[in-house]
Amino acid sequence: MAPRQSTPPAVLACGEIRTCLLPARQALDIRSAAQLLGLRPGERVLLSERPGLYARSPDTLTGVDCPLPSANGARVRAVGTVTAHAALTEGRVLQTSAHCRLPGTGPDQRRPWGEYLVRPGVVEPLGKLPHEAVAQGVLGGPRHGDLDVGLIADGLLTRVLRHPLLDQRPPFRSRPTRLRWAALPAAPGEGPSLERFTLAEDELRTVRLRVPEGTSDAGIAALCDDLALHDWLLTTVVRMLDGLRLGAGAAQDADAVVRTLRPAVDHLLHLWMPGARVGRRLAALWDPLEERPGFTRQWQALVQRIRDQLTLHAIPAAHREVEPAP
Amino acid sequence: MLVFAASDKGGTGRSVTSANLAYQRALTGDHVAYVDFDFGSPTAAAVFDVPGAMRGTEERGLHSYLEGETAEPVRIDVWRQTEHPLLRARPNQSGRLVLLPGDAGGGEFATGEEALERCVDLLLKLNTEFDVTFVDLSAGRSYAVDMVLAATAHPRMSNVPFRWLVFHRWTRQHVIAASGLVHGDHGIIGGGVLSGHDEDTLRAAVRFVRAAVPDPESAVWSQGSTAQATWMQARDEALRRLAAEHRIGDSVVLGIVPLEPILQWHEQLITEEDVLSTQIANKETLDALEEIARRLTDDTHWGRL
Repeated sequence: MAPRQSTPPAVLACGEIRTCLLPARQALDIRSAAQLLGLRPGERVLLSERPGLYARSPDTLTGVDCPLPSANGARVRAVGTVTAHAALTEGRVLQTSAHCRLPGTGPDQRRPWGEYLVRPGVVEPLGKLPHEAVAQGVLGGPRHGDLDVGLIADGLLTRVLRHPLLDQRPPFRSRPTRLRWAALPAAPGEGPSLERFTLAEDELRTVRLRVPEGTSDAGIAALCDDLALHDWLLTTVVRMLDGLRLGAGAAQDADAVVRTLRPAVDHLLHLWMPGARVGRRLAALWDPLEERPGFTRQWQALVQRIRDQLTLHAIPAAHREVEPAP
Repeated sequence: MLVFAASDKGGTGRSVTSANLAYQRALTGDHVAYVDFDFGSPTAAAVFDVPGAMRGTEERGLHSYLEGETAEPVRIDVWRQTEHPLLRARPNQSGRLVLLPGDAGGGEFATGEEALERCVDLLLKLNTEFDVTFVDLSAGRSYAVDMVLAATAHPRMSNVPFRWLVFHRWTRQHVIAASGLVHGDHGIIGGGVLSGHDEDTLRAAVRFVRAAVPDPESAVWSQGSTAQATWMQARDEALRRLAAEHRIGDSVVLGIVPLEPILQWHEQLITEEDVLSTQIANKETLDALEEIARRLTDDTHWGRL
């Protein structure tokens, strides 16, 4: 078999992201973050300090050879590699993200492994790819044994969480989230668009995108990492406020409110920067989300609520302090 | 916090009582996980009334997870998936109540290094997500007990607080057996020390729950003869002495659950409605469960004695 020169353009890119609070009492500084994310010896961790502290591991590759999930029951086998990385925002929010792109057609038989290795992040179907059905299958959740990029993200997360640098003392209780995404080609001449963003289950989100040919899947993954991060922030702060029993009027109310809300102030409120790490063209996909349901609008309302609660509960405390000692 | 529920014998009410404690904690607003490590006879699904949700967990339960066959064990949201009509209406301001079932049909299995690491991963994950995680362990010195003793001694777990509840019935044999499970040559304390636990610290984290205890003062027994009442009083006192001699006396008892007829018939959660509306359960039982649930995190009931 003569080696092939190129693969046809991708007609589907898909991925999954896990987002969680870093289980450590103190946020990691940039050097510790580099240590945590140094997954491959000799390869550098990407570090940036503007507009916020951000560290991203080198990419890891996982070989796959399995059927693709599909909504119409078609069983298409695919072979290739899935790219994954871990990222840490402000030393506090940990994400692992796995993704791959799939060309519209592939060789009819499995090729030597070396041919797949020179195309990192590409998973090639054997034969033709029913890309719409596979996109739907990916978003609907793969069956046992099908290609599951979420498992690869989860495996990487488990690996990072075992790092001895972590003291396993998270400053507050929170839930991890999963975001699954699939990007299909946009109609000729059309720009990128966000077709659907759903809150599927308690902790599962799905995103369906259309992107022009030639859009890099790393760029799409960066956008989805960003969506996942901000969705996690919203979800986490909403739950924090849900946990409050307001207006109970008990004397210990103030303590409870401050104890519950303080972690948001300490660890989360300064992380909101939608689009900060997304390429300009794809960053435009934030616009529809900002319009409806209005991510930043909801965030600002939450931040205001937290500040109001803390202000309110500061008042009696101030009074207590000026009371003369008996 | 992690709470391990252990017992030497079966039929001590360990599963049903710890499920009720999980339920009580969730009612107070805590997020609670209930992990069914009762390999061999998983009963939690019945207590939480989620048999329907158990279908299809043959391959994704805790056994499969520990053996590396599935990355994430199934979770059952009890409020949403229970078939118990009263639990369905999730009480206002309650926390989450999530069951992690064992595999249907999975028995005990040998543990290895990798299973231990996966067990640590799981417990750490649950600890970041839930306020209280109950872990129901198979009766006796089982693999499950060994595994969680090793897991809690693991360096990665050194900052995770845990407590042990040992359940036993109020009979001579059960008192001796419960003491043996904890203090015996091959007991929890001894095994824990071998796993790397500090003996005093581990001892300070173990408390006992006496289950299905007949209260001689209770109205249930008031129909009996004077001779019966006297006999019961004497037995009760003898048992207290026996318990004290076996180092499981009143000072290390977290609570006493009275003999509850409905639990003798049916393993279930005891709701306020069972006490107030239908009056099929005794108020003393509910009070006792609420109090034990509260004491779980009340440090004045824990520590070295």
